[in-house]
Amino acid sequence: MRALLAAAVGLAAAVALVLAVTALGTPGGRTSPHPLLTSAPAAPGQP
Amino acid sequence: MRSRAGLALLALAVFCTALAPLLRWYAYPRLARIPPGQYQAVVLEARDATLLDYTGGMQPRKVDKVTIVQTLKGDVEAARRASAETGRDVVVWDTLTHIAGPDGRMVSQIPERYVFDAHTQEPVHAAGESVDGDPVRREGIEFKWPFAAEPRDHLYFDAQTRTSSPVHYLGPRTFRGMDVHYYEQTVPWTKVPLPKRMPIEGIDPATFEQTTGTSLWYKAKAMFWVDPVTGAPVNAEQVIEQEMRGGIAAGAPEGRLTVFAGHVRMREDYSRHTVALVAANRWKVLVLRTHAPAGLAAAGLVLLGAALWREARGRQAQARRVTA
Repeated sequence: MRALLAAAVGLAAAVALVLAVTALGTPGGRTSPHPLLTSAPAAPGQP
Repeated sequence: MRSRAGLALLALAVFCTALAPLLRWYAYPRLARIPPGQYQAVVLEARDATLLDYTGGMQPRKVDKVTIVQTLKGDVEAARRASAETGRDVVVWDTLTHIAGPDGRMVSQIPERYVFDAHTQEPVHAAGESVDGDPVRREGIEFKWPFAAEPRDHLYFDAQTRTSSPVHYLGPRTFRGMDVHYYEQTVPWTKVPLPKRMPIEGIDPATFEQTTGTSLWYKAKAMFWVDPVTGAPVNAEQVIEQEMRGGIAAGAPEGRLTVFAGHVRMREDYSRHTVALVAANRWKVLVLRTHAPAGLAAAGLVLLGAALWREARGRQAQARRVTA
């Protein structure tokens, strides 16, 4: 009986963790302030 | 099971074993997505290209280099509105393809708005998807393949012709040490609209063909080296030919006037940068899709073994105490 209870606790914790992480999702972020470019940057990462 | 340690090991074993498939088949499809606020620029070049000299007698000339700067920028607010409107997780990209001649002056500019599902990369017909200001209805993919890109043909949208056609899978390749899928798309000679931004003033693209009898034609072979895990191209090349026919091109050989002809390749530093970026994202996706589920499943088995071993030892010790 105690083994069954321990297994149930483990299963419930796994389901709760996955549901919580997916509910939080990935960060929404924000629109970049950088413009669409009309000249070639000297190097990558330089808007 | 009697000992507390054994019970704790059993609970942990079930936790890990259950988490493995949940992560792979529940969390991964929901968490693997294109971020809505992405900003990225790529510089491509066509060396020894042919370019129409608009200001020097409208004649095609060989030039050292034509530069193409392609920027994409995620509009987070538009994505939020489109997601609410469609009930899907949507990304809205505003892109600009800016083409400059050897002197750095603008040859053409084509803005696009590309709206797609953040998880599957399927096009979503909302939020004013367009090419050069004209509304379009995309089919297939553009810019990026879906996560876990399959080794098969896909429909790929071509912005010049505003149509989709198959991009054929031609087998595995290695690009800068990365195992990738290689795809090719061939667009035959097709009449295309004149870009709204031209290098000279006074051309109205809406009436150009009617007033001059001249039309713009385009053909291309596009090549893509795609990371199968993230679906991101690590390299892209295009062999493009563009020419005017009839009207002002009537005096040219065969009535065709080359506007542009060249082989467009990613600039070396951007190629290295793209590979590094894709490799970093590939690792994150692999952790979520493969490494973490596999590691958790293995850990679950080890913990279950430890719990059983602990229980067996406890029972043996108790049996010895009873017989003594």
